[in-house]
Amino acid sequence: MADREYEALWPRSPRQVGVKPLARRLDTLKGKTVAQLWDYVFRGDEVFALLEEGLQERYPGVRFISFKEFGSTHGSDEREVLASLPRKFKELGVDAVISGMGC
Amino acid sequence: MPTSTLVCEGFLGLAGASSVGLGMPNLPVALVPGHTGVQSKDVLRRNILEVTLDRVVGNLTSPPKEALMEDEPAARAIVCKGSFEDVNEYFEANELSDGLPIVPPTRDKVEAFLRSTDRDPDEVLGIMLPDSRAATVWSVAVNGVMAGCRPEYMPVLVALAEAMADPYYGVEHSGNTPGGETLIILNGPIIKQLGFNYTQGVMRDGFRANSSVGRFWRLYLRNVAGFLPHKNDKATFGNTWRVVVAENEDILAKIGWEPNCAEFGFPAGTNAVCIARYTGGNHISSVSGSTPEETLPYIADAMVRQHSWQLMFTVGQGMGTLRPMMLLSPIIAETIAGWGWSKRDLKQYLYEHARISAEQFSRILRDWTMKPIWDLKEEAMLGRIPKAFHESDDPKRLVPMVWEPDDFMLAVTGDLMRNSVYIFAHNGVLGYPTGKAIQLPKKWETLLEKGRRK
Repeated sequence: MADREYEALWPRSPRQVGVKPLARRLDTLKGKTVAQLWDYVFRGDEVFALLEEGLQERYPGVRFISFKEFGSTHGSDEREVLASLPRKFKELGVDAVISGMGC
Repeated sequence: MPTSTLVCEGFLGLAGASSVGLGMPNLPVALVPGHTGVQSKDVLRRNILEVTLDRVVGNLTSPPKEALMEDEPAARAIVCKGSFEDVNEYFEANELSDGLPIVPPTRDKVEAFLRSTDRDPDEVLGIMLPDSRAATVWSVAVNGVMAGCRPEYMPVLVALAEAMADPYYGVEHSGNTPGGETLIILNGPIIKQLGFNYTQGVMRDGFRANSSVGRFWRLYLRNVAGFLPHKNDKATFGNTWRVVVAENEDILAKIGWEPNCAEFGFPAGTNAVCIARYTGGNHISSVSGSTPEETLPYIADAMVRQHSWQLMFTVGQGMGTLRPMMLLSPIIAETIAGWGWSKRDLKQYLYEHARISAEQFSRILRDWTMKPIWDLKEEAMLGRIPKAFHESDDPKRLVPMVWEPDDFMLAVTGDLMRNSVYIFAHNGVLGYPTGKAIQLPKKWETLLEKGRRK
């Protein structure tokens, strides 16, 4: 008996996002304000302290806004925290963001 | 705003897959070598200053790569024509199946599923992260066919997709490290109408309704939400999908306890699904005693023993979002209820007796798992956690596992004549309990009758 031929449908559905252009990068970090975003796991507090040390040595005048200013980006109030970021970045004059820890 | 995302070595693949779903396939990330959790302070310092720092600078100051997205088939496209084996080879090769043979989702089979709902096939039930795909009724039917469901299961499948898409549940976290798996609990007359097992071996495969609906969950999570192992699904070990657990509503009616769906405001008699993610579970055998006072100390002790790092969802990352689930076999529930105890009384008992020393609580989270700097005393004094967590400075004082008695969840199911319970350790905010009512089509009785005749 010949095997039946099937016409199988695609089980996914279309993505609802197109390509979003990324922001223009900075010319230098010298004198810029960098915000730290942390999900409060995997030693991010130590990692951010080390990055501050290294960046300040290379770019005098670079300023950091601690993760403590923003709250955890991965917890029970993460949606509120993320929603508040544009306003806080504007108020604090943030030029760039470092976000961690993806572990 | 220029950004740099710090990503440990093992998560670069996930970062790449997630950024595509977010529409930023060229999102720059900064490598953190190895895993910070096992590095000495010296090694961490060297890795960050000698490797990560340069990447961060590059991310923030160099133009990103060109953004490219691959073309995909249209929503109702036929992606493969061929024999049963050809279709299965194609689906496996294109990561569209779970590794087991699937039922080829042909148009006639999908349309049979769509006849079991009054919902529009193009209706969008929600947008699923991380892939940002629309959860459509159509795609529910396609994956339901693949899973081996019967067409009349469709109303349950739609309710599950709605629950999965509910932001309250947090589907975007489904690929996290502990690999917790969703447990579906079913309530309502539909249990008997569709032949779900709700007695002995309720979590065992062998019952088409329980098994195929459970499989559908994982296929939908893979194909529409986008959780593929080695990509967006970063479970360290993982679990296979769980079969659906249906409650024994005959026993509930007999003892006067509310069904699990009442947690979400649905009264007894409502057809409803409840989903939540659990990292682990354990069978608690030989629960003995003829009174609650004799029976419950063992259960409270077992409740504590099933939880460790998950306490981070009580205080820490989750803040009051730990919702342990306990299945009680019918005779255990009947024994407790026989003394006039309500579900609420049982939850209150667990709140008061399933406790852990403050010292151990802190040791698990602060010392052993290196969760961030916090302190029960400080959190309580700042009013961020209930006072029950700091009633004295004694490190040996017992503190609750959860914020409120109602955080415990209970369901009655399993073997009618066995004295057991099963306790699940919950995943907190990363798969929070979510319930949805099941909408039946107008011609439900006719559809059921047709299904029975087949």
